[in-house]
Amino acid sequence: MKKILSLILVLMMLIPSVAALAEMPAEGYDGSAVTVKFYHIINRDDQLEVLNNAIVEFNKLYPNITIDAENAGSYNDILNRIPAEIKGHNEPNVTFCYADHVATYNESNAVQTLDELIDHPAVGLTAEQKADFVEGYYNEGKSFGDGKMYTLPFYKSTEVMYYDKTFFEANGLTVPTTWDEVEEVCAKIKEIDPKSIPLGYDSEGNWFITMTEQYGSEYTSATEPHYLFDNDTNKAFVKKFNEWYQKGYVTTAGLYGAYTSGLFTSTDETRCYMCIGSSAGARYQRPAKAEDGSYPFEVGIATIPQVDVNNRKVISQGPSVCIFKKDNPQEVLATWLFVKYLTTDATFQANFGMASGYMPAIKSVLEIPEFQEYLEKADGGDNIAMLSMKVGMEQTDAYYTSPVFTGSATARNQVGNIMTTCLGLTENVDAEIDKAFQNAVDECEYAN
Amino acid sequence: MVESKQQWKAWIYLAPAIVLLLVFTVWPIINTVRMALLNNYSGLKAAGGASFEFGISNFQKVISYRRFVQCLKNTVLLCVFTVPISTLLALLIAVALHSIRPLQKALQTIFFLPYVTNSIAIGMVFAAMFNIVGSFFGTENELIVTSGIINNVIEFFGGTRINWINYGSSYTANMFVMIVYIVWNALPFKILILLGGLTSINKQYYEAAKVDSTPRRRVFWRITVPLLSPMLAYVIITGFIGGFKEYTSIVGIFGERMGPVNDAGRLNTMVGFIYDSLSNSNEGRASAAALILFGIILVVTLINLQVSKKRVHY
Amino acid sequence: MTQKSIDIMHARNLHKTAANQKIGRALVLAGIYAFLILMALIVLFPFYWMLISSVKSLAEYRFSVPTLWPRMILLKNYAEAFTAANLGRLFLNTLYVGLVSTLLSLFITIITAFAFARLEFKGKELLFAALLATMMIPGELFTITNYLTVSRFGWLNSYTVLIVPFLVSVFYIYLLRQNFLQIPNELYLAAKVDGTSDWKYLWKVMVPLSLPTLISITILKMMGSWNSYIWPRLVANDEAHRMVTNGLRNAFTDTSGDVNYPVQMAAVALVSAPLFLIFVFLRKYIMAGVSRSGIKG
Repeated sequence: MKKILSLILVLMMLIPSVAALAEMPAEGYDGSAVTVKFYHIINRDDQLEVLNNAIVEFNKLYPNITIDAENAGSYNDILNRIPAEIKGHNEPNVTFCYADHVATYNESNAVQTLDELIDHPAVGLTAEQKADFVEGYYNEGKSFGDGKMYTLPFYKSTEVMYYDKTFFEANGLTVPTTWDEVEEVCAKIKEIDPKSIPLGYDSEGNWFITMTEQYGSEYTSATEPHYLFDNDTNKAFVKKFNEWYQKGYVTTAGLYGAYTSGLFTSTDETRCYMCIGSSAGARYQRPAKAEDGSYPFEVGIATIPQVDVNNRKVISQGPSVCIFKKDNPQEVLATWLFVKYLTTDATFQANFGMASGYMPAIKSVLEIPEFQEYLEKADGGDNIAMLSMKVGMEQTDAYYTSPVFTGSATARNQVGNIMTTCLGLTENVDAEIDKAFQNAVDECEYAN
Repeated sequence: MVESKQQWKAWIYLAPAIVLLLVFTVWPIINTVRMALLNNYSGLKAAGGASFEFGISNFQKVISYRRFVQCLKNTVLLCVFTVPISTLLALLIAVALHSIRPLQKALQTIFFLPYVTNSIAIGMVFAAMFNIVGSFFGTENELIVTSGIINNVIEFFGGTRINWINYGSSYTANMFVMIVYIVWNALPFKILILLGGLTSINKQYYEAAKVDSTPRRRVFWRITVPLLSPMLAYVIITGFIGGFKEYTSIVGIFGERMGPVNDAGRLNTMVGFIYDSLSNSNEGRASAAALILFGIILVVTLINLQVSKKRVHY
Repeated sequence: MTQKSIDIMHARNLHKTAANQKIGRALVLAGIYAFLILMALIVLFPFYWMLISSVKSLAEYRFSVPTLWPRMILLKNYAEAFTAANLGRLFLNTLYVGLVSTLLSLFITIITAFAFARLEFKGKELLFAALLATMMIPGELFTITNYLTVSRFGWLNSYTVLIVPFLVSVFYIYLLRQNFLQIPNELYLAAKVDGTSDWKYLWKVMVPLSLPTLISITILKMMGSWNSYIWPRLVANDEAHRMVTNGLRNAFTDTSGDVNYPVQMAAVALVSAPLFLIFVFLRKYIMAGVSRSGIKG
């Protein structure tokens, strides 16, 4: 009897310690000295300076947290390293990531869920801070299918439509806001300049996914069954764009054989007058200066065409950050404090946005005077990066997120392939489209 | 004839290599076999505590891939064409380089340059040569910005443009470009080895042949090739082993798509498949595919070794 | 016919044959040169491309139609390449790793190839076949197991991890063994009769006779260090140990992922120059061949 009692007592003492491993201490970070290892891919001096300044500021608040920031190469480098490090138990504390990557990392259950940190009484986000995030960016962290949050947005880019403003004005064309209007404008442009390709769209994958959102049809799901993009609505818009291609209205990077931004900025015979590309790539969408220092044409930037202008949907891209589980809860808390600082501090976000051309993840940057001045300078020439940032920040209501799961990256590649395969079809179009969709689903299901 | 002292000595000579190989080569191979035999093994899931059963389902999954036969076919075809062509070409160049006096140094140095050329540059060169930039091929709106240098040459001589690697290109055209690219890449190494081998041949043999006024062709086939045969065997055998592992060249020309834009994955090879599986953390499947590939390479190498036993003179 | 006229006709015939032979030889020579020059131009083209790309502006590089000659020559790309990538450190790291691994590897290759070529031991054929078999598994599969191994050894972010795993290259052992087998057995037996030990024979006779191959292996191994990317990226990519290809691949990549190729090519050209010089310096040792003094019959 005594033995059983003492056994029960021992067990009762063990329970709290086991629980402590799983939960964050209620007092939050206790000030102990920890090192936080942080992988990023920033390598431009001006951007590095912004990051380093932020680390200095952070250390003023938390002097015992040492931030070991390492440029880990490219996204691919990180994607290759982290799984190996997870297996070897030496992954960093926090890293740049894409949500798709995190789904892969999390097959090992190594990624820390952020919910208990965000809602933590001592160190969590205030209601204000939560609301400050652009909703579309914030929700991406929750798109993993289990309702939990795994990533926070760091900085973002989107797609915008670059157009030749000079040409449009000279020919009395209105900038299209819907796909139907795009079709009309393309027809008109073909009459004015028969040797042109009116519209260029570089990323086929983005195009497909954005269209599914705009039409409200299915793409993928984070829970099984995953691959839902083989449906009639999607086939219909693929067929429509096939007809556009046959009429010479549009091309993509894969079909063209080079970047369509090259078509947009060229001053030779063959050109495109509208080019949908990344907001962070604005400087590639600007023609080279003429000898007298002026630009051959002025570039205008607009939100990409929509199916329904009252329900705008635009893709968002760019890195997020994720935190890895560690045995020492203080390490996790310290990492969280650092991540919180980087993602909620308006000064840092504004400075980084201005240095990189990427869009901050929070809205309060608009209140920072330097940032406002920055946006004021926007024009279609020297300051095209500001213009694209301005347009990007005006459409924050439109950002959607796609489900994240192991295989979401494969899905994106496959639907991109559907677009390139189907747009160039000249015979048996319906049958071939069906086949392309089926092949894509098969590949997706095989890979995962 | 085999002294026990010499046996023991041999093992001392072999010791460093064997120790290193055991740790960094044999152990990973054992691990590979292990992963291949654990159903649906995934390294990340294992790190998270998942367990796997023994079975051959990985092999079944590999073989049932809709493009498995295609991958095999690509791997084998590329090898079968590139190894003989690059070896023969390298042999001719090496012999030619060896036989001239003036300009010898300059030309030898030029043939070394591909080694110091960035692989990205090589990929870009091929793109510039074969890539057609434009759209709407085959329709009334057809727009060609550039047909690539090779097509320009063809059209200059009155021929019609060929679609090498773009939308709608044929498998034959794709393979042609790949073969040219792979041979091009393989030449420098083979020339270096064969040239080194040529300079080691005792000049007395050539002098004797000269005294007899033996015609060049006979000198080549009766003296040079047999004396060079150990190096030739090496170049051919390692050429096949390496050729079966071809993958990065396809990425160099076609990018991650591994094929023309209307048929992604058409040119994928076995190692490409292995690489895809590894990226998806499907180590079990990758290991199974590697073992299948190993089996094929082993058979081919054994055949090669048998042939070389008869043909190679030391 | 007088003997003299027959002699004269004979002499003229010989002359003609000699002349014909000379013409024949000249034609063959011309053919050889034409072939070589054609192949050289083909082989030179990518190198030329790399050079002109390295002096183009990024905008010109991105043109849909690649230009065969740059519109503007931007030598400043080279200056930018030199400063942006911290080339000095990258270069030193690569040189250090290259030299140490090449020297150690040469030693191991020589003694191992010698064992397979000249020493007799049980299981020689089988062991050699097993060695060849290790070449038949794609390297990608070794990476993860080796990563776990070196991680457990605590070798991450050190020079050791960049050097040790690759010291044994079956590829080069096989090559040297072929070369060793070509050295006549009579030499070995003669040396044995003289009482020379195997060790002495190896280093005093076989190594000098295999110099061209050994130089080739040296160059190839150095190249290997220069071009290595995947393994260093995984195990030793910190500032102190980063090597050239890793440094270059990302130094010119913008945060958006776009690469400034022209400047990157300039950096590659700068970094390849030493390799090229090494080759030029060692070239004569490969090409000069080997003198076979001291062999009778």
